[in-house]
Amino acid sequence: MGTNFESKYLMKKFLTKKLSTISFIFIPIIFLWHPNWLGFLGVQPYWPLFWLLPWSMINGSINGLIFGLFLGLILDSLTLNESFTQIPGLIFCGFLFGRIKLHSDILLGHFRYGLICSFGSFLCGTFYFLQILFRNFSDSNSLILIPSIKNILAEVFLTGFFAPFICSHLLRMFKFSRRKIQ
Amino acid sequence: MLGIRRISNSRWWHKKKNWLFFAIFLFLVFVRISKGAFYKDFYYFISKPFWPGQFQKEIVLESIDQEYLIKLNLLTKDNIRLRQILSLQESSSDKHISAAVISRKTGSWWRQIILNKGSKDGVEIGNIVIGPGGLLGRVKNTSLFTSSVTLITSPESKLGVWVDRIQINGLLVGLGDDYPSLILYSKDADIKVGDFVSSSPASTLLPPNIPIGIVQSIDETLKSKKTAKISLLAKPNVIDWVQILKVNI
Repeated sequence: MGTNFESKYLMKKFLTKKLSTISFIFIPIIFLWHPNWLGFLGVQPYWPLFWLLPWSMINGSINGLIFGLFLGLILDSLTLNESFTQIPGLIFCGFLFGRIKLHSDILLGHFRYGLICSFGSFLCGTFYFLQILFRNFSDSNSLILIPSIKNILAEVFLTGFFAPFICSHLLRMFKFSRRKIQ
Repeated sequence: MLGIRRISNSRWWHKKKNWLFFAIFLFLVFVRISKGAFYKDFYYFISKPFWPGQFQKEIVLESIDQEYLIKLNLLTKDNIRLRQILSLQESSSDKHISAAVISRKTGSWWRQIILNKGSKDGVEIGNIVIGPGGLLGRVKNTSLFTSSVTLITSPESKLGVWVDRIQINGLLVGLGDDYPSLILYSKDADIKVGDFVSSSPASTLLPPNIPIGIVQSIDETLKSKKTAKISLLAKPNVIDWVQILKVNI
């Protein structure tokens, strides 16, 4: 009985301590899972931003920048587009999100997460699109424009839509885990 | 007076029987002129309950399917024989690996699927992946248990294709949406909506004659080339099982 209680306590302590790491591991899984029922026009929300925003807001710009790089490296390894990378967008977003101060008004904070994530998604999408445009400069410059704009806008909308729900939960979890560690 | 009345009573038009014959005659003339249309229509209605039913239709369709399969096999054999004679590229049709789609990214920029067969099962980089309908993409990366496939809708995908009706080669470029673009480097190419696009015999990446799609719309605004949107025959967003072709080109 005592051993069982102790192991449960240790497990709980471990989960609380590693909450951010565990949620970090889930990002590539959701990115690969690509649930169609959550999509809009076949496009998914940009999942890494949901984790990066609360992480950077709590841990600051440098941490955000570093984890933006890590996320970019992992996600690039999962996608097959070798010529294009998600790293610049995520690094920039990580740094930018670190500069944002936590807001005391909860309701306003929720909407703020949506707007910030939408803006981040727009930045990442534009960075990616510019790479594609630069690569296919001679070939199909004009052809790629409309589908790309559609992709960016759909992604911006979805990311902004889901961010208030996911980011506020993650932020609360990260704060809780941080407080426990301290 | 009585005599006259008797005579008038005996006229042929006073007899009903004669009129009946006349009516029948007229009817037969009508039938003759209308070439039996009335009879045929009449027959249509009375024979309706005895027409061949659904069951017979299934038998006929099954026979047609079998006929097509036999024809297809004969044509495939012919095709292989002729390609051997002409020393053209050939696809080894007996090296198929069936695989299930375990991850699918068919929206946004990243257009790829991950299959549950990897290098352990003999999948190699560059293998062709086809689904019901035709070509889906090429294996870009393999792990021990999985293989990742770049779909032909991906912005990274560029393939040589063949438009059969006008006998011309073109370049199929993925644009990051569901309709890749066919680029024909000839302004005079007589491409039309509905034209069938397959893999090019001149392609160094694909075996020839794999169905790809159908021309959906044509854009002639560019000066030196024609472009067309292609509706793919194989739909990667719904397909759960695919075939990996091990090709030696």
